[in-house]
Amino acid sequence: MECVVQGIIETQHVEALQVLLQGLCGGRQEKLKIHEICLKSGTNLGVEASEVHLLCSLSQTDPVWTVRHVGGPMRGAGAEQLPAHVRSVLESSISSNALRFFYALGYKMDYELVRIGYVFQFQRVVPITVTATMLCKVPKLHAIDEAIPVTPGIQLVELTAPASTENYSEAVGAISSFAEHLAPLIHLSKPGVPTGVVPTASTAAASLVSRGAMKVS
Amino acid sequence: MPVKWLCYWQPSGGTTVSSQVLVDLIKSIESMNGVRSGRWQVTASQHRPIRRDQAVQVECARELLGVAFSEAPNKYYFVLRPDHMVVEADSTIQSIMENLQVYRNHLTVVFEGFQYQLGDFHVKAGRAVIAHSENLRGIVLEVEYLPVSSLGKTHQLMQEFVDIWQEVAAQSMTGRIVHLEPNFGDYSLSDQYSWQHTALQYISLMVHFLSQRTN
Repeated sequence: MECVVQGIIETQHVEALQVLLQGLCGGRQEKLKIHEICLKSGTNLGVEASEVHLLCSLSQTDPVWTVRHVGGPMRGAGAEQLPAHVRSVLESSISSNALRFFYALGYKMDYELVRIGYVFQFQRVVPITVTATMLCKVPKLHAIDEAIPVTPGIQLVELTAPASTENYSEAVGAISSFAEHLAPLIHLSKPGVPTGVVPTASTAAASLVSRGAMKVS
Repeated sequence: MPVKWLCYWQPSGGTTVSSQVLVDLIKSIESMNGVRSGRWQVTASQHRPIRRDQAVQVECARELLGVAFSEAPNKYYFVLRPDHMVVEADSTIQSIMENLQVYRNHLTVVFEGFQYQLGDFHVKAGRAVIAHSENLRGIVLEVEYLPVSSLGKTHQLMQEFVDIWQEVAAQSMTGRIVHLEPNFGDYSLSDQYSWQHTALQYISLMVHFLSQRTN
């Protein structure tokens, strides 16, 4: 399981977000480039239609493949009150013939995209991962080098934390609390809940960047 | 990773394999000064696609074969024979496949027994049974040569070891040790031995045992 909140930020403010994250958690920032392929089960296959994602991390020298299955968000009155989505997530590393494997099992590609950006990981009660990525569409089949941004100038920011049925309240509290620290730059909420950019983000960003520059010099 | 040869006991014409064969083979290992070093288990499964409407065909593999090793508990392997594909994944892939509900387990074969150390060799001897039954499908023998990972470089040495074992076993048993050697090249597996090679060997042996008639 994982908890997740997300929001959008203008690309010009991502540097300020990095300064803020470094200041808050001192975590290591790593580059992120992921080729994501969404696969859907073929007609009549399976108990019901299903979807699985193949992720190929292109940040390392050798590509690393992962298969990811995301379940629906937790439901019920209690879940509605939570400030974050809690959903089941299963991941497995998989050999590089993963796409051919799932095609052979009857899956078909629904879409593919490339995510380019940064990832921060640190510990605040629970392990928290922050990603800021540009989503890019792939114009021709698997032509990832020709990927172009879906929304130039806007990036997606996600906060996630692993959770279990025993501790999901704690995990939700941890990422909600951390999200408040990022409020000057970005509004984070449950996926699917539109938030828009923060109107005063430019002012906050300018302040952060100049403070970051002063620290360096 | 050290090279492994996977073999099975072929009883002589007119006889069937039995648990006594395994007892005798273990005695033959011990007579060669093999030192017992533990138990082992390999679980191989055959899965079939699930069709919502039985009357409608589905474009997918008719059979998905999977295997897990007690020696490598964090990994799971799939083999698709018509596609000549071996897939390696974390053991969590099993939970993912269960959640996807596209293939259903049809049959599981459990290989299990004892392992022995003989110098630079590890030897396993065990039986293959259909899970949740005592339906014995075969006797399995595995020879592992620890120092070398190259299939080509170890071929002669492994053959000599199996020949010696055959001679020892023949003193009290009728039948022979048969080496099962899949065409690794067909599956794009290299000369350097790996768990993917082992997965293909055990899946091939499961397929062989299931194709044999039983009494």
